[in-house]
Amino acid sequence: MARTDNIASLFGKSPITPLQKHMKQVHSCLKDFAVFANAANAQDWEKAEIVCISINNKEEKADKLKKKLRMNLPSTFMMPFSRRDLLDVLLIQDSIANITKDIAGLMMTRHMVFPEQIADDFINLTKLCIKTSAAALMAVNELDELLETAFSSRQRKIVGKMIKTVNELEHETDDAQNDIRNKLFALESDLPPVDVMFYYRAIEWLGETADAAQKVGSRFEVMLTK
Amino acid sequence: MEIIANYGNVLIIMAIVFGVFMAWGIGANDVANAMGTSVGSGAVTIKQAIIIAVIFEFAGAILAGGEVTATIRKGILDASLFANEPHLLVYGMLASLLAAGSWLLIASSLGWPVSTTHSIVGAIVGFGAVGVGVDAVEWNQVVKIVMSWIASPVLAGIIAFTLFRSLQYLIIDTNHPFNNAKKYVPYYMFLVGLVVSLVTIFKGLKHVGLNFDTVTSYMLSIGFGIIIAIIGTFLIRNIHLDPDENKDFYYASMERVFGVLMIITAAAMAFAHGSNDVANAIGPLAAIYSIIDSGGMIGSKSALPVWILFVGGLGIAVGLITYGHKVIATIGTGITQLTPSRGFAATLAAAATVVIASGTGIPVSTTQVLVGAVLGVGLARGMAALDTRVINRIFLSWIITLPAGAFMSILFFFALKGAFGA
Repeated sequence: MARTDNIASLFGKSPITPLQKHMKQVHSCLKDFAVFANAANAQDWEKAEIVCISINNKEEKADKLKKKLRMNLPSTFMMPFSRRDLLDVLLIQDSIANITKDIAGLMMTRHMVFPEQIADDFINLTKLCIKTSAAALMAVNELDELLETAFSSRQRKIVGKMIKTVNELEHETDDAQNDIRNKLFALESDLPPVDVMFYYRAIEWLGETADAAQKVGSRFEVMLTK
Repeated sequence: MEIIANYGNVLIIMAIVFGVFMAWGIGANDVANAMGTSVGSGAVTIKQAIIIAVIFEFAGAILAGGEVTATIRKGILDASLFANEPHLLVYGMLASLLAAGSWLLIASSLGWPVSTTHSIVGAIVGFGAVGVGVDAVEWNQVVKIVMSWIASPVLAGIIAFTLFRSLQYLIIDTNHPFNNAKKYVPYYMFLVGLVVSLVTIFKGLKHVGLNFDTVTSYMLSIGFGIIIAIIGTFLIRNIHLDPDENKDFYYASMERVFGVLMIITAAAMAFAHGSNDVANAIGPLAAIYSIIDSGGMIGSKSALPVWILFVGGLGIAVGLITYGHKVIATIGTGITQLTPSRGFAATLAAAATVVIASGTGIPVSTTQVLVGAVLGVGLARGMAALDTRVINRIFLSWIITLPAGAFMSILFFFALKGAFGA
């Protein structure tokens, strides 16, 4: 005599943990890129290949998490934030993994090795991008506390500060990107033109991961204000 | 009159059997919904929930169930029209019990949304309007009841929203949520005790033969509220801040304080549910008993015998023990995102709404009131994800259950008429 119309059917599956899990997955994908960049720098292509596969796998996993979250988010859900904003955050988060996969793929196929004058700068830029994404992850991880306090102004301020950090880090990556470009420009004439073209592209794409992390932060902030 | 003299005993035994069956069904299914938010918030274990439910459903049924029982028994139909043919009212009430009971069985097995309250009201209106005549139905009263089905979830939602916002302001969104929880929670406990005892003392106790004057009633209610607050203060005294917890995150300790409050609120909810839903099972039984007991006199002044409330309470308790505990376990584990603070706000709002409805004699659907209350917390941004498809199901249950209950009671009414004679 059990009925299906019980009070439990009112409670939907919370999208909060899945969103955090996705961001964590995406961040872990970007973190792998640091290992990849080091291996590429050392021209250890065997190791690079292994890491590249790992990056691809993580990107794929992130994709699956994204799809799963979307599937479990019917438009009838009443949530403390807009569904649209949540889906936007998710999509931007996902782009971090997509870009990471693209750079790793590009560098792998071309066996791209940066000229030694800018090799360290590229590694530093990688680290900065990872830091930016880590800061964004930290903000997203505050979502449970935000919910617990029912999005109190106090908690929103804490998250606001975190997002400010994300923005600052993203500025730093912009500066770092400019530095590398300037250095590369000075070296251009001595390097094969096609290689140079792709150096610029790799630098640009890497910078885009930090851009995406920043967008995650700002979109997240919009999501909180409802 | 002859029919009542000849078949009185048979009819009353049938009424008791069907009434107890209804009460059993309520205990087996509806109680689980009433306890769902308490168990789901993790503050009350399933075992505790069953013990609380058995005691307080029973207490609610006996101490505060009289007013709604009176409505079901003599408020929906104009009893004076039956003065010459009292046996028709007996058939009708019996048919209503049968209709509501079998409709609950059918709908449940098909997985359709149903409400005990709606089926019994639909059934009584059905046989009254078709079996006897449109004039037999007190339409004013029916309209009032139907309006309350919309108003009660909305009211519960508003109360829950306000309660939860007050929690946020006084406790959650402060520098020391834990300390403030310990400071303010006893006041909320007082509130729980006050609301329940006010309704019970003013409206319920007269049915068990106790009468107090207004001043005494207020004093008793306040006194009862204070006692609850003192018990609560005593219970939360031993909750300490967990030193292992993150310094910035006092919420886990704070939630433990609410957990204690939740036990008291769960008791209030069980009480409220017992006071409102027992009438669905025993209202018709009470009507049948009073007619047969008086030998066919329709005296709307006759008092409600306490043993009938007792039968209803017992039926609910047995339903709970034999089957309801399984449903409580299923529902409790199905609700994972409720924390004690949310559970408290929603359950207290629902309990207050239902208990007030019981006091005014209006049969409401406890589950729907609870849905309204949880949505109220959701509007205050307190819940991660609520599936509003439930609202559609509520409307569906109104649209299906009322006519179904009515249709079946008409069938049973004519069948009984054929079997026992007009």
